[in-house]
Amino acid sequence: MLEQLLIFTRGGLILWTCKELGNALKGSPIDTLIRSCLLEERSGAASYNYDAPGAAYTLKWTFHNELGLVFVAVYQRILHLLYVDDLLAMVKQGFSEIYDPKRMVYDDFDETFRQLRMEAEARASELKRSKQVAMKPVNNARKQGQDQKTGFGENKKSNSGLADVGDAERTKSHQLENGYSNGNRVIESKLTAVVNGKENASSNVGAFDVNKLQKLRSKGGKKTDTVVNKGSKEESKKKVTKKNRVWDDKPVEAKLDFTDPVGENGENNIEVLAADQGQSMMDKEEVFSSDSEDEEDEEGSQGSKLEAKKKGWFSSMFQSISGKASLDKADLEPALKALKDRLMTKNVAEEIAEKLCESVAASLEGKKLASFTRISSTVQNAMEEALVRILTPRRSIDILRDVHTAQEQKKPYVVVFVGVNGVGKSTNLAKVAYWLLQHKVSVMMAACDTFRSGAVEQLRTHARRLQIPIFEKGYEKDPAIVAKEAIQEASRNGSEVVLVDTAGRMQDNEPLMRALSKLINLNSPDLVLFVGEALVGNDAVDQLSKFNQKLADLSTSPNPRLIDGILLTKFDTIDDKVGAALSMVYISGAPVMFVGCGQSYTDLKKLNVKSIVKTLIK
Amino acid sequence: MEGAEQWKVQVEQLKVHMEHWLEQGLELVHQIPPIQLYVGVAVLLFTTLLLLLTRLFNRRKSNIILLSGLSGSGKTVLFYQLRDGSSHQGTVTSMEPNEGTFVLHSEITKKDKLKPVHLVDVPGHSRLRAKLDEFLPQAAGVVFVVDALDFLPNCRAASEYLYDILTNASVVKKKIPVLILCNKADKVTAHTKEFINKQMEKEIDKLRVSRSAISDADISNDFTLGVPGKAFSFTQCHNKVTVAEASGLKGEVSEVEQFIRENV
Repeated sequence: MLEQLLIFTRGGLILWTCKELGNALKGSPIDTLIRSCLLEERSGAASYNYDAPGAAYTLKWTFHNELGLVFVAVYQRILHLLYVDDLLAMVKQGFSEIYDPKRMVYDDFDETFRQLRMEAEARASELKRSKQVAMKPVNNARKQGQDQKTGFGENKKSNSGLADVGDAERTKSHQLENGYSNGNRVIESKLTAVVNGKENASSNVGAFDVNKLQKLRSKGGKKTDTVVNKGSKEESKKKVTKKNRVWDDKPVEAKLDFTDPVGENGENNIEVLAADQGQSMMDKEEVFSSDSEDEEDEEGSQGSKLEAKKKGWFSSMFQSISGKASLDKADLEPALKALKDRLMTKNVAEEIAEKLCESVAASLEGKKLASFTRISSTVQNAMEEALVRILTPRRSIDILRDVHTAQEQKKPYVVVFVGVNGVGKSTNLAKVAYWLLQHKVSVMMAACDTFRSGAVEQLRTHARRLQIPIFEKGYEKDPAIVAKEAIQEASRNGSEVVLVDTAGRMQDNEPLMRALSKLINLNSPDLVLFVGEALVGNDAVDQLSKFNQKLADLSTSPNPRLIDGILLTKFDTIDDKVGAALSMVYISGAPVMFVGCGQSYTDLKKLNVKSIVKTLIK
Repeated sequence: MEGAEQWKVQVEQLKVHMEHWLEQGLELVHQIPPIQLYVGVAVLLFTTLLLLLTRLFNRRKSNIILLSGLSGSGKTVLFYQLRDGSSHQGTVTSMEPNEGTFVLHSEITKKDKLKPVHLVDVPGHSRLRAKLDEFLPQAAGVVFVVDALDFLPNCRAASEYLYDILTNASVVKKKIPVLILCNKADKVTAHTKEFINKQMEKEIDKLRVSRSAISDADISNDFTLGVPGKAFSFTQCHNKVTVAEASGLKGEVSEVEQFIRENV
């Protein structure tokens, strides 16, 4: 049954609720929906699942953009009510007829709603009946395939009753929700057959195949890894001294090799000059030339002008003067398509560009076009607003403040750097350390990359140049334990911040992800910083969602730690393709806290939301 | 010398030209009936005067009062309480600002005509904070709503938000008064305004240290708060910062109304 149906304005005032249903909702699903879905530009999605202790709701919604109304229906997750979409559409139509911005009480809508609901229910059951007849053969065929399926899914299906209407799409989406898709299941069962034949293992059909495949894959991966390592070792033996290349217009640099020569007395006695390369860029104010921005704007509008020209100069002119009655999907389509393409050329992951456009479309559909505006510019403005909203951090990114708080509690502030291989975790860890040092914060490094050879030495070099203590335990140790000891050591010697370097890992590598999850659960750091390179395209989505998911899945505690912030590296290499920043923030909801933009210690910046949005839109 | 003479000749020529044009112009003017001419001039003068007047009038006194504060502190309820005298059927998280120009509900019955207030309820969700900057330059006063019931867990976030407002360029320059409103004061477990005042001062004092370290990079914070070397208190602000209590749901909003009347 429907739990609740609400109508409220975008401003947040509830206009009408169904008193008849009157069930008190557990938790606050509506507020959660707004905060974590509608305001995160995810309103293009079909439904939202809300979980609270003792409640599992599915929420569906629709907007009336011209009047600025939101209609939300709440129902129990296990019931797959088919008529909700229908009902929402009808309620929207019915309510918009009687809506008056000055009126606040709509008691007379109760009766209308009752009728609408009956109508919708009746229509749904009729639909169900007719579909069942039509789809019977398909159902039968599928049943054969489903033989090997775990009992759980079937139970659920018969439980839900309503869902089992034979509507192919519905069932599919239902199964998707359960974590399987139909196609997968067929493959899965085939795979079991094959593997069972090979090594008569696991009768548990549900949870097996992916893991095994991964193991196989990772074994293969390791082999190739070692081969490569050998190769590189050989190479390094015959060391050739290279001459410094002199670039055209740069002054000749005296010395490129900054490694300290290893003296006879060993490393310990080497005098190291503290690295001081001036102020970190985090602290420098950026000055943007307004001219160039204006120019960009002009270019942008020229582009859209051309677009408008295609449609016929006169009609578009007329439309722009008179203002169109209301926008519908067909009007928005071309503008959105162009915008999506533009976003994708800026290296925004496709999935995200798509979702964003859907959400923008949802927020514009039915809206009145103001006079003297074009559709393309309206869409662009809406998108710009959406982008600013996404990129504006949800939580405070004032790390120094957090450090001071931790200091008051006499605890070191622990930051864990995680990420895939070769994105620059250690390098940017050193940059962060440098920045913290400049603000008179005592820093300690913990070398918890006990996997890749040379990782500890790399960090040691940074530590020496920055003259900060480093905690290391060599290789082949459990990184979780090393981190724990490092934190203990830090609280002993009074370091305020511990920067924990971890080994790079691919998001699909189960054992390594498990190790990371252990490290994070054991030490409960104050900040889990995901290091991602700005070069990444579609993979950004995969990386972040899998990291988050694995951290959630593999954690033993009921409320697992997820990624709190993002450090974007190699930002200097990407020119205007800044889309990765958007992809990462959108998918994880975590803010970009630092941006690495060069090779020296000072090359650490804050994300400038305005300039990113400008670049993305232009 | 020769150059100067040449120049003189040129000027003479120009003069002749000008006179010629003037004659032509006068002739043209004479052709137009005088009534049309007067009407035209009158219209021109009238419009420019009107534009100037409206501009002057607008600039002298804005009547915008902003309701700001964290999400869930009760801004929207307060907005409708001030407008309609009731919170209707409750509220949910706002996605857009609520705006309205009206005479306060409690003052409708009064005989003497009062100036209507333009009240804006800016959503508290951090993603929508940017909206506040659009309204701040024209604001006559800012009401910062704090949830007195659920204060301690949100103390830091609220203080950070307040810090951003207090260091905003237009707030400092125009000395826009700020009212810290402890909402939900009717509840038994609500904190007192004195407590909230003290806690926020403490928190802002700490923020001052960490923010001044990064303020060079932060474009939004152009000003530093308080007197360096001294513990921060709201009395050190250039603008007036006061603290008051209210209850949005119960409709006890007299202190807000008083604040609004003082500034509009």
